Amino acid sequence: MASRAREFFIGVGDTAMNVARQVGGIVILFYEVVRALLPPRLDLRELMRNMLKMGYMSLPIIALTAFFTGGLMVIQSGIYVKQFNASALVGWGSGYAVFREIGPILIGLMFSGRVGANNTAELGTMTVTEQIDGLRALAIEPIRYLIAPRVVAMMLSLLCLTIIGDLIALGGGLLFSKLILNIEYSTFYYSLVDNLTPADFIQGLVKSVVFGTSIALTSCYFGITVRGGAVGVGRAVNAAVVSAAVSIMLLDFAVTYLLG
Amino acid sequence: MIEVQDVHKGFGHTPLLRGVNLSIPAGARYGIMGPAASGKSVLLKLFCGLLPVDAGTISIDGQTVTGLSESELMPIRNRIGMLFQNYALFDFMTVADNVAFPLRRRGQLDEDEIAARVSERLRRVGLAGSEDKFPSELSGGMKKRVGIARASIAKPDLVIYDEPSAGLDPVTTSKIYDLLLADQAETGGTVIAVSSDIEALEGFCQTIAMLYQGTIICEGDAGSIRDADNPIVRQFVRGDLKGPL
Repeated sequence: MASRAREFFIGVGDTAMNVARQVGGIVILFYEVVRALLPPRLDLRELMRNMLKMGYMSLPIIALTAFFTGGLMVIQSGIYVKQFNASALVGWGSGYAVFREIGPILIGLMFSGRVGANNTAELGTMTVTEQIDGLRALAIEPIRYLIAPRVVAMMLSLLCLTIIGDLIALGGGLLFSKLILNIEYSTFYYSLVDNLTPADFIQGLVKSVVFGTSIALTSCYFGITVRGGAVGVGRAVNAAVVSAAVSIMLLDFAVTYLLG
Repeated sequence: MIEVQDVHKGFGHTPLLRGVNLSIPAGARYGIMGPAASGKSVLLKLFCGLLPVDAGTISIDGQTVTGLSESELMPIRNRIGMLFQNYALFDFMTVADNVAFPLRRRGQLDEDEIAARVSERLRRVGLAGSEDKFPSELSGGMKKRVGIARASIAKPDLVIYDEPSAGLDPVTTSKIYDLLLADQAETGGTVIAVSSDIEALEGFCQTIAMLYQGTIICEGDAGSIRDADNPIVRQFVRGDLKGPL
């Protein structure tokens, strides 16, 4: 009994130390990235290459998700809209939820699954095949050459994808409101523009920047700290996706609390 | 001149290098041999600060390499070319871009000059016409030769080759060592090669050292290594099945 309790506490302690090590590593990486970006000396070729791969290539899956998310909200709220005859509130409700929460979170999670996981796998493979050491041996700082452009690219890509995704989600909401609830386009539109403020939109954008930075840092951190060959790369991808999802939820709470 | 003094290095609780001492004169062709997992590749990485030492010092031309930060190591690494055991080619770049990379980062040559240097280097390693291929399209031996071309293209003061002939056929091995000899004659730089191919090392290196269980157990020219009294060295060089190894 005593040995079981001891094992339990050892396990808890190990996990706590591991989490503390990872959080500390990510914070240090953030500091190094900021230092690499000051003064701005970004490798523009690498930045553009990453934005194309991470942002532009993610557009179809993000658009598809956003469109049906907008529709889904209309379906879910349909019963109550009919019950309370609240069709004038559908546009506002959809816009409020999309701009402030659903857009940044869902698009962030999709982005993490597609781009973050890929980034970890790519950097992890570069680490285990000594390509990162190869850069260092050629007197190139991996943080400045590889990591900083990826962090900036992921941050900007998620911001752009969130703006586009928000608009597509509203388009989906607009269309399904008409098809399912028979709400006129103009009713939806005026409900949206009369009740929402720029703050609703901006809060979502702040979240997308914070989430993008978080996804980038976690995916890069787990990529460059891979140990143990192909198995290690698999473990790192798993850890990066889980950590990014957890950090999105925690940061969402923090930003919502701070910005109101 | 490279001075290695009482260098220790381990991973976790496993010691790998247990007090390595070496003195490599400038302009020398120096070989390091030893059984698998004896720490040869780790020792090479310590030379350019890719790994930190646990104890001891390494200096290159009087400048201590150990204990420096990454930014302090950059000027030293600019003078070093390195071939990694696993090639370390950048898989998102073509062969030509990989080889051109050290020149482009230095920014001293225009693109025409870089292209000419790259073509010449690839021709010398027998890879003319492979400029536009990606590393994933190459065999292990071809990757090795691209790595050699990249390590030597900027004519560094010190070139470190980790297993330069591994995976190559005998004819290509001879060509590669001829190229390394010609390069060294041209630049007068120091070359350190790690290999288990004793015959190739004998033909190329002026001095060979054997690393065993974390220390240098024998050092000398090819002849003295062949005739060494140490039974471990003798067995390793002759490839005997019976012996202390």
